[in-house]
Amino acid sequence: MTAETLVGVLVLLPFIVGGLSFLIRSEGLRKPFVIAFSLVMIIASLWLFLEVYNYGTLVSNPSPVWEYLIFAVDCLLIGYFLYVGITNKHYLIILLAAFQSVSFPLISLPFHKQVKPVLYIDLLSVIMCLVISLIGSLIVVFALDYMRNHEVHHRVNPSRQHIFFFFLISFLGAMNGLVFANSLFWLFLFWEITTLCCYHLIRHDLTEEALGASLRALWMNLAGAVALIIGIGLSLHNFDTVVIQELISSGVVGPALLLTLALFCFTGFTKAAQVPWQGWLLGAMVAPTPVSALLHSSTMVKAGVYLVLRLAPGFVETQLSAAIAIFGAFVFMVTSVLAIGQSNAKRVLAYSTIANLGLIICCAGINTGLAIAAAMVLIVFHAISKGLLFLVVGTIEQQVGSRDIEDMEGLITKLPVLSGIALVGMISMLFLPFGVVFGKWAGIQAASEPVTTWFFLIVAMLVMGSASTLVYYAKWMGRLISCAPDSSGSSEVKAPLAYGTLMALAVLAVGLSFLVVPLVVNVIDPAAVAVGYEEGFKVVGTALATPWGAFPVWPLFVAVVLALVIPALVVRLKPAEVSAVYMCGVNVDERHLVFRSAVDGHVQVETGGTYWTQWFDELSLNKWINAAGIVLLAVLFVGVVL
Amino acid sequence: MNGSDILMALAALALAPLIGGILRGLDRILTARMQGRIGPPLWQPFYDFIKLCAKSKKASHRGPVVWAWAYLVLTVTAWLLFVLRQDLLILLFILAFAGASLALGAFSVRSPYAHFGAYRELLQMLAYEPILLLAAVAIFLKTGSFMVGDVLGFEQPLLISLPLTLVAVLIALGIKMRKSPFDIAASEHAHQELVRGVYTEYSGPTLALIELTHWYELVLVLGIISLFWVIPLWVGIIIALSCYFLEILIDNITARLRWSWMLTVGWSLGVGLILLNIVIVEFFGLGLRL
Repeated sequence: MTAETLVGVLVLLPFIVGGLSFLIRSEGLRKPFVIAFSLVMIIASLWLFLEVYNYGTLVSNPSPVWEYLIFAVDCLLIGYFLYVGITNKHYLIILLAAFQSVSFPLISLPFHKQVKPVLYIDLLSVIMCLVISLIGSLIVVFALDYMRNHEVHHRVNPSRQHIFFFFLISFLGAMNGLVFANSLFWLFLFWEITTLCCYHLIRHDLTEEALGASLRALWMNLAGAVALIIGIGLSLHNFDTVVIQELISSGVVGPALLLTLALFCFTGFTKAAQVPWQGWLLGAMVAPTPVSALLHSSTMVKAGVYLVLRLAPGFVETQLSAAIAIFGAFVFMVTSVLAIGQSNAKRVLAYSTIANLGLIICCAGINTGLAIAAAMVLIVFHAISKGLLFLVVGTIEQQVGSRDIEDMEGLITKLPVLSGIALVGMISMLFLPFGVVFGKWAGIQAASEPVTTWFFLIVAMLVMGSASTLVYYAKWMGRLISCAPDSSGSSEVKAPLAYGTLMALAVLAVGLSFLVVPLVVNVIDPAAVAVGYEEGFKVVGTALATPWGAFPVWPLFVAVVLALVIPALVVRLKPAEVSAVYMCGVNVDERHLVFRSAVDGHVQVETGGTYWTQWFDELSLNKWINAAGIVLLAVLFVGVVL
Repeated sequence: MNGSDILMALAALALAPLIGGILRGLDRILTARMQGRIGPPLWQPFYDFIKLCAKSKKASHRGPVVWAWAYLVLTVTAWLLFVLRQDLLILLFILAFAGASLALGAFSVRSPYAHFGAYRELLQMLAYEPILLLAAVAIFLKTGSFMVGDVLGFEQPLLISLPLTLVAVLIALGIKMRKSPFDIAASEHAHQELVRGVYTEYSGPTLALIELTHWYELVLVLGIISLFWVIPLWVGIIIALSCYFLEILIDNITARLRWSWMLTVGWSLGVGLILLNIVIVEFFGLGLRL
C-alpha cells in the first residue's frame, strides 16, 4: 500500500463508513462493523506515521477534478448553513452564511492556478492524525455501548443512533483532511465540515437546550470561517497563493502577511473556544458524552490550536507572536480561575480544556523550539487525559444520574473501578511525572526566556493558572475519595466496550508518560525541527533536558510508585484499629455519622463541596473576562499594524 | 549519579529531620519566651515524635494513612531533588503534589472538620504556589538556569538583585510554615485550637509521619531561601535562619486572618513584588551585574 492510499483511507474511509452506518439500522450489525473500522483507522494512522517518520515529509497532488468537487461541496455546505439560519430565524447565522455565499465564490472562482502541493504531510500532521485516529476511534467504540444506554435512558424510539454515528465517524475524516491540507481551499472545506458535524452532534438530543447550544456553536464557528475567507482573499490579493507552506515561508514578514496570519489565528481561536468565544464549547456539553469527549480531546478544538501551531513559523519574532502568547496565557489563567467556582463536572472539564488550549496557543506564541515542542507534547497528552476524563464523567452520569461533583461524594466506594480510572485521569492532568504537566513545565521554561518584552506577564499568568488548576482538580478528587463508614457495596455496571475503552485510555495516559523520553526525542523534537525550529529537548543521562532545566522522568516515576501505589496496596486497617470519625460531640451512630449536638438533638453529619462563588462566580466575572479577551484580540490586530 | 551524590543524598535523608526537629524545638522555646513562658526543652519535638510512634495505630479509614505516606515520600523526593541539585520548577511541582496529598488525605474520610481544613489547605496552596514558581523564574533570569546546581555556582549573591523576590518568598514561607497571620488551614502549634483542620483524623504513628514530613519541608524551604546567597554558603544559611526567626516573631505578634485576605496578599503583593523585581532587573539594569 502506498502512502497516498493510506492518506485516502484516513480521509475518505470515515465518510464511507459513516454513510454505511447511517444505512445499517441494526445495532448488532453496526457494532462489529464500527469496531473493525476503528482498528483499520488505528493501523492506517500508525502506518502513515511510520511512512512519514522513515521517508520524510509526504507531498501529494490529487487529481485536479477534486478541486471542482470541493468547490461544489463547499457551496452546498454554505447553502445548508443558510438554510439552517433561515429555518431557525437566526439572523446572525443568516448574515454570516450569506456573507460566505457571496465571498466564497468571489474569491475561489477566479482562481485557476495549479496548487502545489495540495496535501503536505509532515511529522506534525501525522502526530495530529495519530491523535485523531487513535483517540477518536476509541471514543467511537466507547459510543457503541454508551449510545444504547443513552437511548434507553431518554426513551428515544425509534433509534436515532444511525444519524449520530454518521456525523461522529465522518468527523474523524474531516479532521484528518484538515491536518493534511496544504491548500487553503481544502482546509476551508474540512473546516466547514467539522463545523457541520459539530452542529449536528450537539443538537442530537433535540431538546430545547441542545438546539440553542448547537445554533450558538454554529454561528461562532461560522464567524471564524468568515475570518478564514477574508484571510484567503487577502492571501490571494497580496501573494497570489493559497498554499500554506508558501505563505509561512515567504521570508518577507510584512504587515500584509501578518494581517493574513492574524485572521487565520483568529479563526483558530474561535474553533479552540478561546475567550470570548468559550460560550459554544461550554454549551456543547448538552450533547451525549462521546461528543464532548471527541470535541474536547482529539477533534474540533484541536483543529483550532493545530492551525495556530501550523502557522507559527510564519510569525516568528513578531509583535503578533507576542500578542498571541499573551492572549493564550490570559485565557489559561482566567478559565482556570473560573473552573474553581464550578460544581458541574463537565463544565469544570470544559474550562480545563479551554485553559489547556490557551496554554498551547501561548506556547505557539512564544514560538521557540522548546515552546513548539511543549505545545505538541500538550496536544498529545491533553487529548488522551481529557478524552478519558469526559468518558469517565459520562459513564458516572449514566450510573449515578448526575454530573454534579456534589453527587460524586464517596464514589470510590460505590463505583471503585470507575472512580479509580477517574483518579488516574485527574492525576495525569495534574501532577508531575505525567505528560500534561511535563508539557506545562516545558511551557513555563520556554516562557521564562525573555524572547519578548512581555514575557514576565506571560509567566505570571501561567503560574497563577497552574495554581488554580491544582485547586479545582484536587477538590474534585477530594469529593470522589471522601468515604463514609456506612458506604454500601459496589453497584457498578461494567459495560465491556465502554470500560475497555476507559482502561485503554488510562493505560495510554500513564504508559506514554512513562515513555516520554523516547517520544520526545524520536517524534516531538524532529517534528519541531521539520517545521523549522531548533530542537527543544535533549537527553542528559536519563533525564529530558531543556537548555536550562531537566526533567528526571524515571526517578520521579519511582517516587510516585513509592509514594502512592505501594501504600495504597499495602496499608490495611485491622478492625481493632478503626476508630470513629471525630464529630465534636458525642457520637450516637458511628456508621452513619450521627452525633448528639449542643441542643441535645441527633444530628446527621453532612459534608459538601466548597466553590467560593463569592470570589469565583462565573456570571459576575464573565463580563470583565470577555471584555479583556476582546481587548486582547484587538491588540492582536493592532500589533500587526505597528 | 555518582558515588558522592549517593552519599550526599543519604546524609541529607538522615540529617534533614534532625535539623528540622531542632529548628522546631527552637521555635517552641522562642515562642514560649516571647509569651513569657520558659517553654519545653530543645529536644521536645523528638520526644513527641517518639511518643506518637509508640501509640497504637488508630484511623477512621485507610485513605488518610495512604495519603500521609504519599505526603512524606513526595516531600522527601523534593528534598532529594534539591540536594542532588536538580530543576527548581520540578522540585516545586513535586512539592505541590505533596501538599495536595495532605489535603487529599483529609478529604479521604468523611469528616466535616478535616474537609474544612482540606479546602483551606488548597486555598493556601493557591496563594503561595504562584509566588514560589515565579521566584524560580526570577532566579532563572539572573542565573540563566533552573538547576539548583547552576544557582549554587552563580558567583554574585542573588539577594543584591532580587531583594523584593525574597520578601515575596517570605510571604510564601509564612503560609507554607503555617504561621500567623497565614495559619488558615491549621496552625503549626497545636496551642491555638483543639480541632486542627487537616490533621483532625490523624493520630499516633500516622501523625508522627506528618510531623516528620513537616521537618523535611521546613529544611527544604529554608534551603531554597539560602539560595539567595550561596557564595559563601554560610551567609545564605544565616539569611535563611534570620527569615525563620522573623517568621516566628511575626507568628507571635499577629493573629490569624481571613483566607480571602491571604489570597489577596499572595496574588497581588507576592506576585506583584516579584514582577516588579523582574522588571527592574531586566529593563532598568539595576541588577548590578558584577
